[in-house]
Amino acid sequence: MIDGLCAIIISRGLDEMLRFCLKSFFESARELACPVEAIVVDNASGRPYAASSFSDGRVRLLRFDVHAGFAAACNQAVRSCSTKQLLFLNNDVLLDQTTLAAMIGQQDQAGIGVTGARLYFPDGRIQHRGVVFGRDDIGPYHLDRGSFLDASDSVEAYQAVTGACLMVGKGLFDEIGGFDEAYAFGLEDIDFCLRVRQFGKKVVCVSAGRPLHFESLTPGRIELDVESRRLFLERWRGKYTIDG
Amino acid sequence: MLYYFVPDTTIFGGIKVAYQFVDALNVLGVPAVIASPQGQAATWFFSRAAVVDAAAAQESFRPDDIAVFSLPHDYVSLRELPGQLFFHCQGTDPLIDPILADSAVGVITCWSQATQYARERGVRNPLEAGISISPCFAYTGEPKYEAAAAYMPRRGEKWLQAVKNAHQSLRYIAIDNMHEDEVAHVMKSCSIYLATAEHEWFGLPALEAMSAGCVVASLPVVGGMEYLDDGVNCRVADPQDYVAVVGELLHERSAALRFRLRQAAMATARRYTTKQMLKRLTRLIDGPLSSWKRSL
Repeated sequence: MIDGLCAIIISRGLDEMLRFCLKSFFESARELACPVEAIVVDNASGRPYAASSFSDGRVRLLRFDVHAGFAAACNQAVRSCSTKQLLFLNNDVLLDQTTLAAMIGQQDQAGIGVTGARLYFPDGRIQHRGVVFGRDDIGPYHLDRGSFLDASDSVEAYQAVTGACLMVGKGLFDEIGGFDEAYAFGLEDIDFCLRVRQFGKKVVCVSAGRPLHFESLTPGRIELDVESRRLFLERWRGKYTIDG
Repeated sequence: MLYYFVPDTTIFGGIKVAYQFVDALNVLGVPAVIASPQGQAATWFFSRAAVVDAAAAQESFRPDDIAVFSLPHDYVSLRELPGQLFFHCQGTDPLIDPILADSAVGVITCWSQATQYARERGVRNPLEAGISISPCFAYTGEPKYEAAAAYMPRRGEKWLQAVKNAHQSLRYIAIDNMHEDEVAHVMKSCSIYLATAEHEWFGLPALEAMSAGCVVASLPVVGGMEYLDDGVNCRVADPQDYVAVVGELLHERSAALRFRLRQAAMATARRYTTKQMLKRLTRLIDGPLSSWKRSL
């Protein structure tokens, strides 16, 4: 039985997007039997968020005056969480009402380490249904990204899922050592999932409802990806299996 | 946690079978990983198995962990580990006899001849987990070239050369150093597969070729005779008859025979799907290997 869920949302600007993200999170959380909270990490927004702008009392605000990498920001936020389950959520993800219940249902199962969610672009194409790895450094990449797929309630196992919407037990997160802060931005989630699987835990992706992911709205993201990819391949080339 | 220790990542059937085994265990909810030197993963076939460094795995091995291995040479170092030790029997070289004689080692076999071999050496309850063909080999109606034969040049070159000399009109396609999906593509486009490796333990490539809709002409193998049924789903010939048997297969009057063998071959391959292997493993995990669930 899950005894509490804390969403960690690293955010920079995009005030209105963040507001809708939080709204969808709490709407989806209505289906849960456990208490929930959300920590919004203001990652050096040019115009700092004001605590008063979050009407829901379950939102806590952490402010970084100096921009931190995604991994470092997440790790720091986790240190102030006391719930057993963590949900890392991008500020441009709008959850469906059924998403959290389906995800937390998986986390309740033995052997599951990480649960991700199938995410859609606003036009209905697939944004994420699981991450696969191709040969010759192709990937990791999002399987079927950009395709139209029939909606179905399903659970599929993968080597990794996106950190845009990723649930993990706090105990396991701590045991693994959290996200690797050497990554500037991008692929720290994939690195994390691969390490989770080395602990013998499964990584699964649930399809429930039609949660949206607008993707990469934060400025400067692409440039940071390049350095992260270099680091990822340095660490993992030849050490993952090929499934895509 | 279950660690399946492998010696390396080379293109060798035993490596693929190890990863398939771990993949299947993962599907069934058993926490299992591959333990490989320096954590290197084999990348020439599809798998989702996680890979860890073998030396680190040995160092951190706990009494409630499980070690599985298939290379006889690993026995000496692994038997010193605390916890359960299982030998995944993928061949019946006499080198494995000391392992079979050790009652502290559980024995899991991949095919019936290996099961029989273990029994004959005093293993009371060898557990037959089976072996499976990757789904990418399943023939789904791709165009085939009637005059094309696939083969693997690593072993049996002498017999292959004899066939090539005798039947020069055939187009020969070597399968070497390819990823599994490329192998499947070649097999699906060829009508014949020449299995020329003598003393092959099982001959997984020939079974994969059957799945891909090839007519298989094979030399006798050791464990693989459980799926090779001469004249029914393939042709099996002794080395001295091999060239003639292939010639007969290629003959125009053998078209109906080739069709019949191909259909029967694909039906045989259906007995070795991942689903079938999962069924077998489920029975084992619900029964004699129920302790593996404890590590969940």
